[in-house]
Amino acid sequence: MPLPRRRGAGRSRHREAVLGAPPPPRTGLPENAARPLGAVTGTIVDASPHLLVLRTRRAGATTRETETRIPMTGTTTVWHGGRGGLAALRPGREVIVRPGEDGLGADRVWVDVARVTGTILACGRDTVEVDMGPHRGRAHVVIPPYALERVLVRHPRMEPGYLIDVICVRSPGGPQAVRPGTSQPGYRADDLAAPEPGAPVPGTVHGTVTWFGSLGEGAPPHAGAAYPAVDPEGDAGGCPDAPSGCVALPYLSLGSEITVHNECSGRATTVPVVECGCSAARYCDRCVECGTSPRGRIAELTPAAFVGLGGDLEAGCFNAVVRPGAPGALAVPAAVSGRAGRW
Amino acid sequence: MVTEFQNTQVLLLATVLLAACLAKLTVRERAAGVPDHVHGVPVPAGLARVTALRRSRGLNVGLGLGEGVLGLALLVTPQLPVRVAVALAFAAATWVVGELRVRRPDAGCGCFGGLSSKRVGRRSVLRAMLFTACAVASLGAPLPGLQVLRDVPAQVALLLTVELALFAALSPEVPALVERGARARGRGRPPVPCERRRSPVTETYRALYDSPAWVEHENVVASAVPLDVWREGCWRFVVFPARMNERDMEVVFAVSTAERDRTVRSAVVQADPADSADSADSAGSDVSATL
Repeated sequence: MPLPRRRGAGRSRHREAVLGAPPPPRTGLPENAARPLGAVTGTIVDASPHLLVLRTRRAGATTRETETRIPMTGTTTVWHGGRGGLAALRPGREVIVRPGEDGLGADRVWVDVARVTGTILACGRDTVEVDMGPHRGRAHVVIPPYALERVLVRHPRMEPGYLIDVICVRSPGGPQAVRPGTSQPGYRADDLAAPEPGAPVPGTVHGTVTWFGSLGEGAPPHAGAAYPAVDPEGDAGGCPDAPSGCVALPYLSLGSEITVHNECSGRATTVPVVECGCSAARYCDRCVECGTSPRGRIAELTPAAFVGLGGDLEAGCFNAVVRPGAPGALAVPAAVSGRAGRW
Repeated sequence: MVTEFQNTQVLLLATVLLAACLAKLTVRERAAGVPDHVHGVPVPAGLARVTALRRSRGLNVGLGLGEGVLGLALLVTPQLPVRVAVALAFAAATWVVGELRVRRPDAGCGCFGGLSSKRVGRRSVLRAMLFTACAVASLGAPLPGLQVLRDVPAQVALLLTVELALFAALSPEVPALVERGARARGRGRPPVPCERRRSPVTETYRALYDSPAWVEHENVVASAVPLDVWREGCWRFVVFPARMNERDMEVVFAVSTAERDRTVRSAVVQADPADSADSADSAGSDVSATL
């Protein structure tokens, strides 16, 4: 079991011991939401028009590698910076596969996809230096001439201090931008309109959900989320300089759980918080995948979780409802051996 | 009619200048409101220096006194140089507010001292432009402010009321002033919901050590360094190793993050070796310093 999930299980046990089991939520997600698809992430070992063989990493007490065979169908589409075709499925490349609705074959395959989201530090002729946050470091993104116009259309301010969000293809020289992830916010990264301090925290939050990271070494193979309001104190795992974001969200910690419902596909799942989403907190944008979402990037998912909920990685986002798993102020212990005191 | 309009502008400008003087001298700006760098991107050095200079107490007091002198001069003398100085001051203020809106809107304009800490928007720029127009219109006013006040014609009173209402509508300082007033009367701002209130870990320990729950379990706690400290919504959880009846246990405290009336709950659970191994690595060293 990966560390955030294991730690989350321990914290959940401790929380329930002291506060009791959480009551069933009164508001929130539709009860008939479909289950997530089982996305598969791995390295291509062999590929043919009928079969894709991957070396996949299964997360457990110790990460172990297994070989997974996935049938290809006539309707399987491959993305590698655009429509890639079967020629893009070369051994050694990292892919993520979304199975079809029947679960029998591959529906979509994304090859060497990555995403760079953060604040522009410097701009060259066809390169951008991006600060992705204290926990993700910096990225040197190459924007090739064929992609530059597309990126500039939705990122008109390629200046230090402004935000950038681009979908990339991994390459030996670093990520190469192929299209914008979302439209660039018109404000500087440090110029975010936060909600009023006294704004109430709703039980469920509507907004846009995106994805983060890349495939390959170091990428989390499991489903998880980067949450914009991770507490910076103690061992919670948050970033000290994270802004408060443009949506009123409750503070959580690494290992806490959030439930995400993709309003476009109707699928929902519960994922652990695996990273601080301080980059997401700087975005006050909308998603227009199916209707127009309210403002606010309320979570970033790992590619596996995003694809599993029916999201298209190249689209960058989906309209979502998120229910943070935070106990409220009135949580009352039910038959626990605890004691309470007020001071 | 034109003369009365010009006289009204003198009164309006004197009121505004004296109000700005009073605000600058009495309401201090918050010292650490604007970050020097955000997310690894430093604010350009020139801008940071200008912002720091603008927020310095000395400059604010100097500006406030200057505005007070101009306001009083408008009240007591009809001299043209005074009117020209006022017009130039408002023109300069319009330029400064416009620049701030483009370059550092988050820093606030400081037009009314600490009351003007909200971001600079179009309203602030429009207000400064209207005052400049008023100052230009007042150049030909024949009377000083006090003389106008001695015998206020109905038109002047009506026009001044309308202009003051427009001034209030364009001023983001009015809500800040109302909030300060409410706070002074004890009603204050609405409390921050405990789910999203920033709660330092030192505050949590203070509440914990003062609680009956801590007193009850203090003797079984085996280490001053907690195994894990994390937060979910309204609660911060602190787990300490404990030894009870020759068995390894854990004491879990849940401390409320509310602004007041903080509740502390506790429970004793069986130690889980896997949890302890994970958490011991990351137990906070800053925590031990508080014990």
